[in-house]
Amino acid sequence: MTSTLEHAAHTSAPEGGGLARRQNFLTAMIGGVVFAWLGWFLAHHFLDSSSRNFSDLVTTSLTIGWIFGFWLGIGALNGPGRWLIGADHTRADDLYYAGENQGRARYWKYCTDHKVVGVQYIVMTAVLLGAGGILAMAIRTELIVPGNHFVNQQVYNGFVAVHGMLMILALIVAVAGPWANFVVPIMCGARDMAFPRLNALSLWTLVGAAGLLLSVLAVGSLTMGWVVLAPIADQAGVGMDFFAMSIIVFTVSTTVAGVNTICTVMTMRTKGMTLARLPIFVWASVIAAALGLYAFPYFSLVEAQTLLDRNFNTSFFVAGGGGTGWLQANLFWLMGHPEVYVILLPAVGALFEIASVMSRKPVFSYRTAIAGMTGLAGLSILVWAHHMFTTGWAPTLGGPFMLTTELISIPTGLFFLVIIGTMWRGNVWMKLPTIWLFGFIFNFIIAGITGIYLSDIPIDNQLHGTMFVTAHFHYVFVGSVLFGAIAALAFWYPKVTGRFLDETMGRISFWLAFIGVQVTFLAMFVSGLRGMPRRYSSYSLIFEHTNFITTIGAYMIMAGMLVLLGAVVRSWSHGEPAGPNPWHANSLEWLVPTPPPLENFDVLPVITEDPYNYREELVRS
Amino acid sequence: MAEMKNKENLKGMFATWVILTVVGVAIGIWGPARLMPRSMSDNMHLTILTMVVFTVAAAPVAAGVYAVTLHALRHWVHKGDNVPAPAAEQTRENATLTASWLIASTVLTVFLLIWGLGALAVDNGSAGRNPLVVDVTGQQWLWTFSYPGSNVQSPTLVLPEGRTVDFHITALDVTHGFWIANMGVQVDANVGTTTQIHTTPTALGQFDIRCTQFCGLNHAFMVTTGDVVTKAQFNSWLASQSQKA
Repeated sequence: MTSTLEHAAHTSAPEGGGLARRQNFLTAMIGGVVFAWLGWFLAHHFLDSSSRNFSDLVTTSLTIGWIFGFWLGIGALNGPGRWLIGADHTRADDLYYAGENQGRARYWKYCTDHKVVGVQYIVMTAVLLGAGGILAMAIRTELIVPGNHFVNQQVYNGFVAVHGMLMILALIVAVAGPWANFVVPIMCGARDMAFPRLNALSLWTLVGAAGLLLSVLAVGSLTMGWVVLAPIADQAGVGMDFFAMSIIVFTVSTTVAGVNTICTVMTMRTKGMTLARLPIFVWASVIAAALGLYAFPYFSLVEAQTLLDRNFNTSFFVAGGGGTGWLQANLFWLMGHPEVYVILLPAVGALFEIASVMSRKPVFSYRTAIAGMTGLAGLSILVWAHHMFTTGWAPTLGGPFMLTTELISIPTGLFFLVIIGTMWRGNVWMKLPTIWLFGFIFNFIIAGITGIYLSDIPIDNQLHGTMFVTAHFHYVFVGSVLFGAIAALAFWYPKVTGRFLDETMGRISFWLAFIGVQVTFLAMFVSGLRGMPRRYSSYSLIFEHTNFITTIGAYMIMAGMLVLLGAVVRSWSHGEPAGPNPWHANSLEWLVPTPPPLENFDVLPVITEDPYNYREELVRS
Repeated sequence: MAEMKNKENLKGMFATWVILTVVGVAIGIWGPARLMPRSMSDNMHLTILTMVVFTVAAAPVAAGVYAVTLHALRHWVHKGDNVPAPAAEQTRENATLTASWLIASTVLTVFLLIWGLGALAVDNGSAGRNPLVVDVTGQQWLWTFSYPGSNVQSPTLVLPEGRTVDFHITALDVTHGFWIANMGVQVDANVGTTTQIHTTPTALGQFDIRCTQFCGLNHAFMVTTGDVVTKAQFNSWLASQSQKA
């Protein structure tokens, strides 16, 4: 298939174009390091070194230099720069930035093609999960027996903080990053995202933020959990400045990505693609993106205030200076709870899609699915203080927040209705995506029920701050979201690579991860019930057995993830060829060739019904 | 014939649901009291009872989802590399089912909510006319307990059985979490503010106090012990400590 763009390409010369044509990840790193050094140099030489904020100011200056240099080096500022001097991109420039005829090199570049960005997000997710996973293994290794043997407490505490934040970032992008970029525009019948350059910006900004976050480990780390509560954040070294800046930069990335997803779906749908005919995953992506636009500003705000406290003694969160740590906790959780659903909704949307295609039945009660996701998003902005039941803040609001929190179980229950209703008397095709879907159903029930315990204040007064909470949200994030993300990967992998994700290795990885999750987190529930608090670098002997079991389970999960990684890498070039529509689905991403050409469609399709009519298949592969 | 087969299938599903519900209820009744620390206060009794009630209430829901899922795995799956035929029933909506599901989950949620609000009201109820006030101070990485009206300051907590204790909690440096694992009471110790929580010890014996809010390097070692003693023992302990001080 030849796209209209490739015809146009003959009139342009992709070669030449000066320095801007040579920018890639390497120049971005060089730019980042050079400007970081410049930021350090200027602050170090011109600021008063006797000030008690000196090291924080120098660090903040360095991190600002890093991200500015990184943007400059990757080419993020080329477009706006050209526009400012009145020499906007030509068609040839746009095609160059879309990665035309650049083969694999484009994956290292500031590429505006949504499919390239999708693949870059897959890699980024793997990198973040990998780094967070290594830290998880270090944490569990430290906890395999009581006492500090493997790493010291300072290092351990830093691992806990960075593990938490790396995994949160990884899961925020795990489904939305790869698939809202790769498949959503095609599902809508669009040639690209609404703002292709912003798409590249969101990805490379995430890379810059990840660089800052990983640097935390190298600069003395952190002494607190991922929520970095005030006032203890004040006691942290310069690692805290890296951490706060990485979050601010990260929120730029999610904001840009969220705006892009919403605008693409609202404005770029092809003829006949009414809102009621959209694949359900598109709805999930839009709702999650909208929720992210609400939630993440709190995140950058709270970290900006932390930086201001540290750099300029503003004392927003310092009790002695008129501030309060409760303000930090409120702002953090105003972000922190909606964020859970920013993470969950895309995974659930993908699973609706998979349940339908694999069962050869329409999504059961499409409107209920949308109502459930919208209801969950709406409720999630009203529940933040359930994270603060035991802080002592506003005890009279305990009842109301308990009410909103428990109401969450109604829309969540609808997800089960939709998935089970879809599979009810279906012909459920047992392939890799379906297997992970079954795993999700099993784990998400446990995640949901343990959440109901914690929403109840008399129980929370006992279990808050214990390993029970840790086990609960790991059932959400690992058992449910990660399983959903892997199902989505297995489902759309053939569209990206033209090959199936290896079924045998995939199943081995499933069983290792599935059993590993039960072993790890059921034992962790028991640790919590028996009274073990979170974030302990050591523990008393009564928690010995359950911690040992948890560590063994954690190793199993890691083994499963390594097998999966092996399968992803191997199948990319050696997998079984899949053809353009291996699952015999009807949504648009399956009706374009594999891999989809630049700008996706030769002629934009006209839509006459939703993609869930399995009686009349549009294309047989 | 197909009708018959379907009916038989659903009987199996129903049986699975009943069995799994019984298992869930059994875990709910057996588990909390055995897995959680020994109850030593009225709050902890209520917490454990609430755990039991919630588990029993959740058991049929979880069992229902698992029964359908297991049934799907046994009867509705299609193995092999060829795509299965479209399902015989291409059901898109079932208003009755959706409405029943919504009503059932709402009723269950409202029940749990009413129970929870009731339990909360009991926990938050008045501390009575003559509570024992204990001032709790957290700092990196130790607890100090003082008894207003006496000059006693102690690194361990001694409480009389059967008398309501009202804890007034604060911190000197960073936020700490004051938690008596056997009594179901937990509240943060904040700098510059005093938080309160009360409970009535109902059993004699030792208990642990652990910090539940991350407080830096030695967070894991910010542990102390407490002892519930009889009223007479408590009074003589307080008197002996006062003389020492």
